[in-house]
Amino acid sequence: MAVLPCGVHSANYSQDKAFIRTPVQWVCFIAFLLIVFAGPFFFPSRMLGIIIITGITIIAVVGLQITVGLTGQINLGQSAFMGMGAFTTATLAANFNLPFWLSIPAGGIGGALLGAIFGIPALRVKGFYLALTSLAAQILFPLLITRMPSKWFGGPNGLGLAPAKIGGFTLQSDQSLYYLIMGVTVIMLFFAFNLTRSRVGRALMAVRDNDIVAEIMGVNLFTYKTLAFAIGSLYAGIAGGLWAYYLRYVMAEQFNLWSSVWYLGMIIVGGVGSILGAILGTVFLRALQELITIAGPWFGQVFPQAGGEALWYSGMNIVLGGVIILFLIFEPKGLAHRWNVLKHSFRIWPYPYL
Amino acid sequence: MKKEIQTANSSLAVDKVSLSFGKILVINNVSFQVYEGEILSIIGPNGAGKTSLLNCLSGFYQPDSGRITYKGQEITKIPIHRRASLGIGRTFQGLQLFPGMTVINNIMSGRHILMKTNFLQAFLHWPWVHREEIAHREVVEEIIDFLEMEAIRHELVGNLGYGLRKRVDLARALALEPKILIMDEPMAGMNMEEKEDMARFIIDIEEFKSIPIILVEHDMEVVMDISNRIMVLDWGNVIAEGKPEEIRTNPAVIKAYLGDADEEVNHY
Repeated sequence: MAVLPCGVHSANYSQDKAFIRTPVQWVCFIAFLLIVFAGPFFFPSRMLGIIIITGITIIAVVGLQITVGLTGQINLGQSAFMGMGAFTTATLAANFNLPFWLSIPAGGIGGALLGAIFGIPALRVKGFYLALTSLAAQILFPLLITRMPSKWFGGPNGLGLAPAKIGGFTLQSDQSLYYLIMGVTVIMLFFAFNLTRSRVGRALMAVRDNDIVAEIMGVNLFTYKTLAFAIGSLYAGIAGGLWAYYLRYVMAEQFNLWSSVWYLGMIIVGGVGSILGAILGTVFLRALQELITIAGPWFGQVFPQAGGEALWYSGMNIVLGGVIILFLIFEPKGLAHRWNVLKHSFRIWPYPYL
Repeated sequence: MKKEIQTANSSLAVDKVSLSFGKILVINNVSFQVYEGEILSIIGPNGAGKTSLLNCLSGFYQPDSGRITYKGQEITKIPIHRRASLGIGRTFQGLQLFPGMTVINNIMSGRHILMKTNFLQAFLHWPWVHREEIAHREVVEEIIDFLEMEAIRHELVGNLGYGLRKRVDLARALALEPKILIMDEPMAGMNMEEKEDMARFIIDIEEFKSIPIILVEHDMEVVMDISNRIMVLDWGNVIAEGKPEEIRTNPAVIKAYLGDADEEVNHY
């Protein structure tokens, strides 16, 4: 627990459980939101695209954080649950002409249902074995989607959908989609932060730390382990729905094991068990990815003898994998912990410790 | 001065319970009653079946035969998590906390069954969710006062020392507002001061909250001092039951703990 800024203390329990405590924090928070939502006015469109994808990824990774970090149930199928959401949204939009404000939540529910089904074994199996169960979801998902009648999910060809419409306005440009996706991201983050300070969040954390004792305290393990998967994949499903409207084309191959593993990597880099960590980890790894994408060709030109562009692109995975390993060795608590340490030392400055 | 216990008010009754793991009989036909407002200690040498018996009460083990009734209701077969809402609180042998959570959250998690927020309400954090949190926080703060843990309420439990962790364990069990409290070795591994504190807390709980306590403990001094009644187990059998002063002089108990003089001779 980081110390509070000097002079700030709780006079009642409401203050003690609030996330934002001081006027300065409020100003920073609102300024941050304003900058994010003013983005389309000064970011170039390539940057907007990066932020949109990052926002979608943040939702999926925060969901994974709820399943893995908060409840301790390993999930290697987050990408499949995201795909389930994307396909549910796409098919509802393409075949039933549902508006986006119905089809995206429906995508969330679709993801949650699939997640809950694959979460049921969590009552009996733990750790490594549970990872394999969720891996099964990831492997089964493309088979399931491509083998269904092509009228439902488009079969192997995938499914295209019309742009989202609200009233007479079409959400087709990056700018308009930016507002939709950032808006949903902010709402989902608000939900996630609230969850961690509620009865349900505590029950989930209790299951993570000691499931036998949690049961003695009256936590129904079956309900809460399944709920952990359902909430986590609800987030994935919403992310998938947004993904469907952003790319307007969904294919089973977009939701592969590779992304699921990356999402886990983002949690590790950000800090297992912290919602803030999920955000930081996603932003950090996405930024690194983009940086390598930009720097790769440049390196290729400067050092042509090193093997040209192709090598630098394939080098990306080595760099990103290396970053995850470095975090596991040197900062297993992740960026969120670093951030807390930084805040702490800033607040007690000039003293080295309190 | 220990008060007289009304034997008419039975809280928990164990009737001819037996439990075996394979061929090993762990608990053999054990019957006992816990009366309202008493501290019943269960003692016995290592491997006597004390913890197994408690695990039958908590529901981790299903007895092979026999009945456990609690306030007139049979609870032998009901699921573990439903026993909490009946009012059966429990503390654990060793450290069984939620180390990744703060002290406040550990104790608040004890109030799980008394709160109502579901996950959709938790997402939105409606005003009444907030009010519920505050109301329960007030009760938790009373427990924190009672167990003198004000200074550590925001610490992660994983960072606390052993004695304090045992206190958090007790606080969490109390937060459930139990109608009966089962304590498995609350003083194991504590130093003298921590033991005295814990003994004081146990007596206070029994006195102020007037709930019966089942205590399993190896420290004989403590057991003799604070128990109203003692039951002695050996190899799964009840070998003695009675007031502390009766148990102290009971030859069967002395034999179980120290062995028989004649037997000793035969060994060599």
